Amino acid sequence: MTTASADSVRSNTTDNNDSNSSTSDSSTPIVNRQRLLWLLLLSGLGAGVVIALCWGPVAISPSQVFDSLWSLLHGDAIAGSNDWVVRELRLPRVLLALLVGAGLAVAGVVTQGVFRNPLADPGLIGVASGAALAAVAVIVLSDSILFFWADLTGPLALPLAAFGGGLLVTWVMYRLGTWRGETQVAMLLLAGVAINVLTGAATGVLTYLADDQQLRSMTFWSMGSLAYGRWPEVMAMSLFILLPVLLCLRYGRALNAMLLGEQVAGHLGLDVQRCKRWLLAAAALMVGAGVAVAGIIGFIGLVVPHLLRLIIGPDHRLLLPMSALAGGLLLLVADTLARNVIAPQDLPVGLLMALIGGPLFLSMLLHQVRGRMG
Amino acid sequence: MSDVIQIEPVSRPVEQAELLTLDGVAVERHGKQLLHPTRLTLGCGEKLAILGPNGAGKSTLLKCLAGDIRDYAGHIHFDQQPLTALNGNHRARRIAVMPQHAEMMFPFRVSEVVALGRTPFTDEIVTRHWQERAMQLTECWHLRDRRYPSLSGGEQQRVQLARVLVQIWQALENATDNHLLLLDECTSALDPAHQHSIMDAVNRFATSGVGVIAVMHDVALAASWADTVVLLKNGAVMYHGDSRGLTDAQLLADCYDLPIELAKRHAASNALWM
Repeated sequence: MTTASADSVRSNTTDNNDSNSSTSDSSTPIVNRQRLLWLLLLSGLGAGVVIALCWGPVAISPSQVFDSLWSLLHGDAIAGSNDWVVRELRLPRVLLALLVGAGLAVAGVVTQGVFRNPLADPGLIGVASGAALAAVAVIVLSDSILFFWADLTGPLALPLAAFGGGLLVTWVMYRLGTWRGETQVAMLLLAGVAINVLTGAATGVLTYLADDQQLRSMTFWSMGSLAYGRWPEVMAMSLFILLPVLLCLRYGRALNAMLLGEQVAGHLGLDVQRCKRWLLAAAALMVGAGVAVAGIIGFIGLVVPHLLRLIIGPDHRLLLPMSALAGGLLLLVADTLARNVIAPQDLPVGLLMALIGGPLFLSMLLHQVRGRMG
Repeated sequence: MSDVIQIEPVSRPVEQAELLTLDGVAVERHGKQLLHPTRLTLGCGEKLAILGPNGAGKSTLLKCLAGDIRDYAGHIHFDQQPLTALNGNHRARRIAVMPQHAEMMFPFRVSEVVALGRTPFTDEIVTRHWQERAMQLTECWHLRDRRYPSLSGGEQQRVQLARVLVQIWQALENATDNHLLLLDECTSALDPAHQHSIMDAVNRFATSGVGVIAVMHDVALAASWADTVVLLKNGAVMYHGDSRGLTDAQLLADCYDLPIELAKRHAASNALWM
């Protein structure tokens, strides 16, 4: 992806020099770049899925993988241990990585669009940690204070609680970081720090109430891992992530207009408050669902939209679907690496993403503070 | 534009339907009267400048017309119907608003920003030639492949005006509906040459029957451009009438709290601009 972004910079400069060409001429390389990127993403996804299914502590040949997928589609019974590994361990984990990655990337695009700032990542502004706190509270307190909640919502207790926590933090951040329709980045990020400290402290209090089993699953929340993904999780996620993703895809044009400011978007005929409510709720749902099943995996919502904007520009009508694909692909690659680099140990993928995303975030911050965006 | 009709404000046909009527429009915020009950009319093709000192309620008045403020007292009629009867999209198809400034952190190209003006119609692709002409009209065609955040304030203002004009470009082509153009200090970051070329661009729309209301700080520019002017002070209309009123030194002195000597000089320079 780095080579592709370098390409984009180079062809931008040629566009600028060639001032005689008309709009349609100068946009042709962009269209070609889009086609190339679609092709790259789709083939990358195909290759990534096959590699992720083959590669692991137990090496499985591609032909065995295709056989397993074929028999799964035909509803055949599981034959042999390799078949079981592919169908019951690796395939759900792969699908989960794709879903969670897509949800986090699209949630990133949406929050950045609504807050009108490319640094507004749901993880950084505390949405993910709010969701995680709610999820941890459900884990620890479901036998005591929150019994009614677990009783009421059954198997959806965790994703719904995480959604609620994420939504609450999103709303608080919106109130704190936005003044007269203008988002103050410094305020947003600093308030995010405060929210992260608060939820960290609250999670710390909960650790004193937790037993050993609960402590182990809480460690997993704080680092982020897809290791516990099985078919039931995949089913739930396809509902909680695919629906909001599809909803957000319809708002590409609206998000473009909202980048000009809420008032201007209103002058362009949008019901800005309604758009904002739907978009932020969808983002909170995607982040909350992702957190509920995989813990806190940061920076996907920051890295993916940023790289895509460098290549195809900030048009949300393209950015949203491409972010879904690229986010899924990135988390799939990161997760495949995470479970293989120190195999048979499982490195939490959230740690890996933080190692990649942290430096990138710092460089973006420097870039923006020094006023050289664009 | 071969069939340019110069519309004289004084000799405007009587049977010309009013495009916009404000009746007792008032705005109150936190117990403070930002705008006292205001009566105002605007005809098709009329160019109205709203002037006044800082905090006089100029932007408040414009916001009522733009749909930003909806809880005003009184009535606003646009094209024979209450303004509130139009939903957001239908309003945007008829009324374009130029903001004071529009910042953007995202690296859109200039041509993409201008295309956003067609959002209410979702026809960005088929109206490319309109976008091209709007950019030429506001002198930002040569910037079309630049990234918007890298432009200077004046360049950004011209791009925004192109976006606003393309939103109601149909008024120049096949106008069956009446249109309104609202400008909020749209020339504040421009040099004098660009100020006048931009106002000329706006005039093309006025001669096609678009009503134009511009909030202005530059009294001389208003004197040279507007048909009628409204002078606001402390949320109340001090003067509404022909732009020749700007040559009245006493009026300027009262409105802007200017020493009469200074007001006389302004009035004399305004007379030169007429």
